[in-house]
Amino acid sequence: MNENQQKTTHFGYKTVAENDKASMVADVFHSVAAKYDVMNDLMSFGIHRLWKRQTIASSGVRKGHYVLDLAGGTGDLTSKFSQLVGETGQVILGDINSSMLKVGREKLRNLGRVGNIEYVQMNAEALPFPDNSFDLITIAFGLRNVTDKDKALRSMYRILKPGGRLLVLEFSKPEHEALSKAYDFYSFNILPKMGQLVANDSESYQYLAESIRMHPDQETLKSMMEDAGFEHTSYQNLTGGIVALHRGFKY
Amino acid sequence: MLANALLSLVERIINHVLQLDSSLKDNLAAISDKQLLIEIRDWQQRILCVYSDEQIHLYSTAEHHFDCMISADIDTLLTLKNPAMLTQLIRQDKLDLQGDLHIAQGFSNAFAALNIDWPEHFSRYIGDAPAQQLWLSLQAMKRHGVNVKNKLENTLTTLCQDELAVTIHPLELAEFKQQNRQLKNQVSQLEMRINALLKSC
Repeated sequence: MNENQQKTTHFGYKTVAENDKASMVADVFHSVAAKYDVMNDLMSFGIHRLWKRQTIASSGVRKGHYVLDLAGGTGDLTSKFSQLVGETGQVILGDINSSMLKVGREKLRNLGRVGNIEYVQMNAEALPFPDNSFDLITIAFGLRNVTDKDKALRSMYRILKPGGRLLVLEFSKPEHEALSKAYDFYSFNILPKMGQLVANDSESYQYLAESIRMHPDQETLKSMMEDAGFEHTSYQNLTGGIVALHRGFKY
Repeated sequence: MLANALLSLVERIINHVLQLDSSLKDNLAAISDKQLLIEIRDWQQRILCVYSDEQIHLYSTAEHHFDCMISADIDTLLTLKNPAMLTQLIRQDKLDLQGDLHIAQGFSNAFAALNIDWPEHFSRYIGDAPAQQLWLSLQAMKRHGVNVKNKLENTLTTLCQDELAVTIHPLELAEFKQQNRQLKNQVSQLEMRINALLKSC
């Protein structure tokens, strides 16, 4: 395959070679890792905590479960899962980005969450675990950054135990036109300026806004999950559809 | 999501209380990691309650996995402070209980036995003697408040129960009408006399 014929994908609104996307996304997250939590609170006015809380409420996680928190970043979900699975369970905090993993590990250790958490750098498209390993897989605000989403969903399906579930928390399409316009204005005008002021990095937050618009809408993602093999798939819109929580089971 | 937002506040308050009474953790240890699902029928809410890693976790959920489930109206749930009421309420069909009864009793007993040593906690900030004095003052205020509340309740009850003369009695009305008629007659007689005097002049 020559250079002109190589496969392409999107990186925000740009079209880039598939092989380049992972490293470009990695650069974004290396850049924002240190201020990730502060920026999350600022950008979402703290509402991201409620979105994550809703994810935990929908997880059905209990003592002894094996949980994979994919694209776990700074470990907000891992922290709660670690408490809920107890000593007999285990949580794997997985992220493709070493900087995010470092920040997450430091934060969780400072919170005293040790003993049942492992930190693994991994690519969601080729998860390094045997088949039927996990009771629950979550991926919160990570799927849109994955180059081949179908491949990643198939990989997640493979390592999920029968009876296990996948939860995908991700930005989606607002349900109402007025909200959509206000959200667009906020994303493209205010968000990058906020990024510039707080993290001294407007480009990463411009990418964030663009990548959200390029991410599949609720119904499309649901179909993608079904194509990957998941059953009983459903989604719940949060904050008017700005974010959606998708759920699918493996039987 | 609103329910989960409110529950996160309640969760914070309960976990703060857990820090104030160390015996509560001991009482809850027996039901650690057990999932209690509380269904509030009239609010159409299901709340999952778990004590894990020395913290209470509360979530509004649609999940059907639990170790124990209590389903009742909010009024019935509020009477559950007394664990002995459980069987009575089940017999009256006011409460549905599935799973391990001991989990519900464990939560109920632990919070019923809650005894926070407030003077001890206050003393960290203001010293022993002022903390004790503050506690006694607060207790006295509480007693005074209860007395005032009881008096107000008694007054209100008396006002509601006693018959008040809001309108005049029928007998008074009859007497008033009679006096009115007499006055009318007297006025007529006076008018006739005046007319007679005017004619004679």
